[in-house]
Amino acid sequence: MQPRSNPSPAPLRVVIVGGGTAGWMCAAGLARLLPPTDYALTLIESDEIGTVGVGEATLPHIREFNAMLGLDEAEFMRATQGSFKLGIEFVGWDKPGGRYVHPFGSFGERWGGIDFQHHWLRARAAGQDVGDWFDHSFAVAMCREGVFDLPDEDLRSIRSTFSYAYHFDAGLYAEYLRRWATPRGVRRIEGKIVDIARNAESGLVESVALQSGAAIAGDLFIDCSGFRSLLLGQSMGVAWHDWSAWLPCDRAMAVPCAGAAGITPFTRSTAQAGGWTWRIPLQHRTGNGYVFSSSFCSEEQARETILGAIDGAPLADPRLLRFQAGRRARGWEGNVVAIGLSSGFLEPLESTSIFLIQAAVTDLANLMPLPGGGPPDPRLAAEFNRLFAIHYDRTRDFLVLHYTANARHGEPLWDHVRNMALPDSLAHKIALFRSSGRAPDYKLGLFSRDSWLAVLMGQGILPEAHDRLADRAPLDEVADRLAELRERIATNAAALPAHAEFIASYCSAARGTADDRAVTA
Amino acid sequence: MSRPFTVIVAGRDAPLWLAAAALARGLAPSGVQVEAVELPSALASVDAHATFPALEALHNQLRIDETMLLRATGGNLTLGRNFTDLAGAWPAFLHAYGSAGTQIGGRDFFAHWVKARAHGLGVPLDDFSLTAAAARQGRLMLPDAENAIYGRCDYGYHLPAIPYARLLRAAAIGHGATAHAAEQLTVERAGDAIVALDLGAGRRLAADLFVDAGGVLGGAHLSWRAHFPVDRVLTAAGPPFANIPVYAEDRAGPTGWTALHPGRPATFVVHAWSSAHATDEEALRAAGAAAGLPLAGVRIAAVEPGRPARPWTGNCVTLGAVFDPVHGLDLLGLQVGLVQLLADFPATAHFAAERDEYNRAAGAALDRLRDFQSAHYALARYAGPFWDAARAGTVSPDLAHAVALFRARAELAPFEEENLPPDSWRALFLGHGVEPESWPPAIDRVPPEEAKAQFRRMLGFVREQVLRQPTQEAYLAGLADG
Repeated sequence: MQPRSNPSPAPLRVVIVGGGTAGWMCAAGLARLLPPTDYALTLIESDEIGTVGVGEATLPHIREFNAMLGLDEAEFMRATQGSFKLGIEFVGWDKPGGRYVHPFGSFGERWGGIDFQHHWLRARAAGQDVGDWFDHSFAVAMCREGVFDLPDEDLRSIRSTFSYAYHFDAGLYAEYLRRWATPRGVRRIEGKIVDIARNAESGLVESVALQSGAAIAGDLFIDCSGFRSLLLGQSMGVAWHDWSAWLPCDRAMAVPCAGAAGITPFTRSTAQAGGWTWRIPLQHRTGNGYVFSSSFCSEEQARETILGAIDGAPLADPRLLRFQAGRRARGWEGNVVAIGLSSGFLEPLESTSIFLIQAAVTDLANLMPLPGGGPPDPRLAAEFNRLFAIHYDRTRDFLVLHYTANARHGEPLWDHVRNMALPDSLAHKIALFRSSGRAPDYKLGLFSRDSWLAVLMGQGILPEAHDRLADRAPLDEVADRLAELRERIATNAAALPAHAEFIASYCSAARGTADDRAVTA
Repeated sequence: MSRPFTVIVAGRDAPLWLAAAALARGLAPSGVQVEAVELPSALASVDAHATFPALEALHNQLRIDETMLLRATGGNLTLGRNFTDLAGAWPAFLHAYGSAGTQIGGRDFFAHWVKARAHGLGVPLDDFSLTAAAARQGRLMLPDAENAIYGRCDYGYHLPAIPYARLLRAAAIGHGATAHAAEQLTVERAGDAIVALDLGAGRRLAADLFVDAGGVLGGAHLSWRAHFPVDRVLTAAGPPFANIPVYAEDRAGPTGWTALHPGRPATFVVHAWSSAHATDEEALRAAGAAAGLPLAGVRIAAVEPGRPARPWTGNCVTLGAVFDPVHGLDLLGLQVGLVQLLADFPATAHFAAERDEYNRAAGAALDRLRDFQSAHYALARYAGPFWDAARAGTVSPDLAHAVALFRARAELAPFEEENLPPDSWRALFLGHGVEPESWPPAIDRVPPEEAKAQFRRMLGFVREQVLRQPTQEAYLAGLADG
């Protein structure tokens, strides 16, 4: 064991390049996790550069991140115009006219130590009345009723069998985190980066030059520059893995509109001829956009489609974004770590971009170089990159699943994705589910077994058989228990408050402002 | 359903009956027919199983009560394995089966210990482990409500192999397996698939699925030879210790190593070496000297470590692997395969996808266990030609990465198919001198005084708990009375 050679070295200078959701989540997370005496955190952002800010819907993991920072939920939701999200409704994805919900919650209960779907599949195959698969999820029932309440702490209650995330204004979230982070030691510099200086021998980045002429030196640079990937992509030249063969959408047309009455506790994703449209309800407006493939849909068609799809008056002109699905070969190279869109891009179909930021921040905090330790240790970078690849690749497979299993015959994009060759890892997962009803269940990375079950079943992939272990239980009992479960779910969901009502009493942005004024006065 | 789905398990002794019992217990109530084809036993009275804690969970599923198990087999408990250097050049280390320390500030204890040590703490990790501390004091550490809040207190067994196999046989039959004794087997194949087994005397058994629980049905072997120096193994029995120690001991010598597994009927001795560096006669002398016991019933066998190249081929699943004998992983490897087989058991006669999944998961799990053993040889610092060859062995990229990360940051890289607890990996790496150079900086937010106070509280708790625990004698005597 070597005690550090220098007992009190100068703090490690960490320079975060770019604000936005990635930059500020990174700044706040590191400020909270790292010892302040050992790390000097600086964030450079420019008000001239817009942020993408499409990530307005999240996954339940964000609650762990917020809890780690110690944020007050109601206050954070007021500040970000937040609403609750219990899942995603997929409209027309399996087939025209079809719809299902991918809920943040479990399906049924594990009876006799056997995964729930096997009981359901067995009873169904035996000709019993087993209802609809999605009638066995409490979170789905909540979505259908448009209700919300916090999960019950009593784990025996059906009201404990779900989790939730948020819809929020990502720009406001970044601002909120900025207000959180700057008093906690994160130095913010306003400026536009015009040059990157690298050491001729080591290749490490030494400083970034700003338009003002100032040079910001650092030991570790975190690239949160978005699609431009200024440091990792442009300067370090880390290769790009193009995934557009599996995820052909490469454009988005985003437009906010006035909010509709009865704010839904879920995101909606609607399949369209050239891709799909999203609908994300916030307190003060609804976020919308059309993710499409330029090979199958023109920009003009996209504009028409999105303006026809929104259910309120548009609040701005539709804005076009260009991208390509894929990731960098490595997220950490030399002394540059890319977090957010600079490291890779996956379309917002399952709201994964903020989770991928969060996972990278957590991994980086754990693997952070120490002050006085010389250039970053490649052994630490190797682990970061291993986890980075697992996160991206598993998420990719889950997204591709939505496309491959569709019955939208006669539409060129959908015919194309139905027939494309799949990653082996995904083809195997689908084959296993088809053959025996077994759904993926892994420790590392997104998504859980219940999420896979939702989309596999939702896209209409019905297993040909079930686990024999389920055959032990008497068949009549299984049918009765299924009926009882559906009844319990429906009754409990109907008893909860409407989502809009819950927001009004818990975290209304409008009321929050008034309260704050009252307190100040 | 016209004809029940039939599975034949073939093999001998504990692996056969463990597999047959688990399959019958899990699947017979679902209408699956389980046939066990039993080849003549290969066991002698000097054979014993040194098992890992995971076996207890399988016994629970099989409704094998621990008291009954220990009574019926004459077995005893073991808290881990102590590794010593006969040359005395390197300190001994204990691979204890329990965990060390409790979380501080929501982070693993281990990182805090690494940091404290870098700042001069002289207290070994073992002192924070209930199990290791008890082992040092010659006491058991049985989990109870009081110590469960502190950490994991797991233990394994030393089970005389003959009575253990007998007990499992009864359990398998009790759960619905049908036994067929056979002197030898002929495998009838059609392409990739097995059609039937010919047991001789006009007995022919057909099945939908065949499970090989002992390498008796053929199939390609993927050699692990490049990782392991051992190719010869001697088993023998020494007289039992008057006070039965609570852990096994592995003693490293210049031409191989010698393990002592304390038992009630005998001390079960295993000596492993490489024929490149010692003859059988030399090995026998080395074993006797290392054990310091008179050895009886000596048997010598060749060992060729490896796993089935494709564990499930056609309609035949080969469970487990041939492990290097150093950690006694055979039954754990078998159990891992068995659990995976139950998870992927064919839902219908068309089971290509289940087979692919089994091969992916079981293959990775077996390779991970192999890496644990491989680390023991690659990292060992002992002197002698045997250990020089061991250090030159192949190290998988995953293991090389795991060692590098542990050294760099005191972290264990998470892997999907992992069957050993982090404490086992830490004990192994630290014991062989892999010293972490840093720790996750987040723990530096905890004031050193607070960590110190927590350390003192833990050490006090461990001392107090150890005193409450019985010796092995007292515990075994209690079983006999019950």
